[in-house]
Amino acid sequence: MNNIDKKIAVLKKEKKLGLMTHAVVGYPNMGKSIEIIKILAQYSDFLELQIPFSDPVADGETIMEASEAALKNGMNTDKAFEIIRNLNLRVLPFGSPMSTHKGTPAMGLPASRHPLVRLRTDKLTPVLVMCYYNQVFRYGMDRFCKKARESGVSGLIVPDIPPEEEKKERFIEACLRYDLYPIRVISPASGEERLRINAKYAKGFVYSVSHFGVTGTKSELDKDLQIYLRRVKKYFNIPIALGFGISSPDQIQKIKGMVDIAIVGSAIINTYNRDGLKGVDTLVKSLKNCTIQKENI
Amino acid sequence: MIFDYKTKYDADTSGHFGQFGGRFAPEMLIPALEELEKAYIKAKKDTDFEREFLSLCRNYAGRPTPLTYANNLTKQLGGAKIYLKNEGLNLSGAHKITHCLGQAILARRMGKKRIIAETGAGQHGVAAATVAAKFGFECVVYMGEVDVARQRPNVFWMEQLGAEIIPVKFGSKTLKDAVNAALKDWITNVRNTHYLLGSTVGPHPFPSINRDFQQIVGLEVKEQVKEMEGKLPDYLIACVGGGSNAMGLFYRFLEDEEVILIGVEAGGKGVERIGKHAARFRGGEVGVVEGYKSLFLQDNYGNIEKTHSVSAGLDYPGVGPQLAYLGQVGRVQFEYATDREVIGAYKLLAKTEGIICALESAYAVAYAIKLAPKLSKEKIIVVNLSGRGDKDIFIVAEAVKDKNWREFLKTKLT
Ligand SMILES: Cc1ncc(COP(=O)(O)O)c(C=O)c1O
Repeated sequence: MNNIDKKIAVLKKEKKLGLMTHAVVGYPNMGKSIEIIKILAQYSDFLELQIPFSDPVADGETIMEASEAALKNGMNTDKAFEIIRNLNLRVLPFGSPMSTHKGTPAMGLPASRHPLVRLRTDKLTPVLVMCYYNQVFRYGMDRFCKKARESGVSGLIVPDIPPEEEKKERFIEACLRYDLYPIRVISPASGEERLRINAKYAKGFVYSVSHFGVTGTKSELDKDLQIYLRRVKKYFNIPIALGFGISSPDQIQKIKGMVDIAIVGSAIINTYNRDGLKGVDTLVKSLKNCTIQKENI
Repeated sequence: MIFDYKTKYDADTSGHFGQFGGRFAPEMLIPALEELEKAYIKAKKDTDFEREFLSLCRNYAGRPTPLTYANNLTKQLGGAKIYLKNEGLNLSGAHKITHCLGQAILARRMGKKRIIAETGAGQHGVAAATVAAKFGFECVVYMGEVDVARQRPNVFWMEQLGAEIIPVKFGSKTLKDAVNAALKDWITNVRNTHYLLGSTVGPHPFPSINRDFQQIVGLEVKEQVKEMEGKLPDYLIACVGGGSNAMGLFYRFLEDEEVILIGVEAGGKGVERIGKHAARFRGGEVGVVEGYKSLFLQDNYGNIEKTHSVSAGLDYPGVGPQLAYLGQVGRVQFEYATDREVIGAYKLLAKTEGIICALESAYAVAYAIKLAPKLSKEKIIVVNLSGRGDKDIFIVAEAVKDKNWREFLKTKLT
């Protein structure tokens, strides 16, 4: 069973809204990035780790600038996977095949002495990698998926590979070969037919973009959100994750009961830029608290 | 009907030219691309659409553009006969107006009120601003900060035409970043906005649509050469940024296999070093960026590399998917010219033929200058002068180190 499904089962049983937090791997630098991810891992149900790309077409200013900075600092696909693999020593449950993984530890430290090791090893936090299709394509489709799997990744979020290209690219096929869930991204622009086509390929959960726009551009929720989500539910019988522009506990409160997973991305980077690691800790903790509170608070 | 013309080198129904092309767009844009494709398929069969397009081309933009025999240049080079297709005589100064007119009609038919465009040299931006004024659209043009600085006259003209110019400050701050910025705007405003993409690049159906509008260039050339020479030309030469002027010239000749088609890329400061040129057929690798699969100048992880060219319009890391395909199957041959050769070609053309061409177009001229002397006098070369050179006044004045111009600029500052 894919860890994403396992996690979803837990959330369902506990009747909780899931929280997926996002980081650009390597931003602002290798060390700080690991610190940020460590904080996120403590409070999150899923981690969305973005491998920086030179031309991130679906991303707004915040993530774009973070990506540029990370690339400038030398981040790349290999290094990102190395970091992720070492994280997974911590975020997978005891007894899972990956937790006994004996890969080369990151930063030249033996796995057991790595500063992050033993952090919440009892907690299941599936890692999803977000990147753009050219990064997968150029690395080699099979090689990329294999590497992702070996690094303990459970799913890939690649926004610029629509199902129509599957016949030629066989991306989804490659993902599934390595038990990686190819997460479908849909938006309010998607009509019924688009939803139907995407639903055919969807696994784990569906990533629903909350409004017309790129990441991190809006602070209030669309008034048509409910109508859109109703349309999504008609076609997808898997959980709905809502992202793009979700930044506060307040908003999390509002979408409770409407969706299954809340995704927070740019807000975390903005908070880091303003208030540093402490700020990130405060924000993500408050987001988490909000997701686990009873509905009527 | 001109729009029902097809060749064996066209895309399949999903927009693939062999392994290239396709529609690698985020889901937010797929519905808009489908809407555009539908509108276009419908328009193609509509005689009113064709009539309006051709009428605007003739009575507004100034088509047909002349094909000029370059007798002095031919004589000086002492080889093949050189003809110049002078697209610089179009309204707004380049071939770009043609696909802008076509797309503007489509945008109106789709009920869009706002158009956005990217621009490198500013020629596509000026053309987009022109049709926006004519059709009454709101118009926003994205332009890399580097290009804003080096093509300042066009920024001024776009503003005079009523467009808003947004300088793009991220990435390499050139054409590809302007495309990214425009795509992001489109994602955000897709309901009322048409993205008037300015070359034969991007996700399906843009490469095919822009080619179809631009085919009028080759169509005219075919008739004009026939009238003047009574036969087909032997060589067609065009510069290649994204590929709109090259595809426009080549398309109607693709199946005349005896006609040799040559695309000229920006060799910049030399094609040996990545970052110093924009020759995709020298240093490019297959990739998927900005919505399409093609050759891109990129690193091993798929990140786009910096490019360089004196001409903003060719300073782009990708190339139109149909050209990538035509290059792969050997139907189009790709050459390059360096910055230095281009300035030389530009000067020679001005002095011998009285035509001041755009720096982009001077790449095609530069290659013709190398090729013509090697050919016999019966051979015919047609060079596409995609645009006129007014916009390049600052770059050229600097390249030719014109002291008087510099003094003049100083007086203007006080
Ligand atoms: C005059 C001129 N020629 C050529 C180009 C290159 O574009 P394309 O390859 O699409 O013709 C440009 C682009 O800005 C241009 O302004």
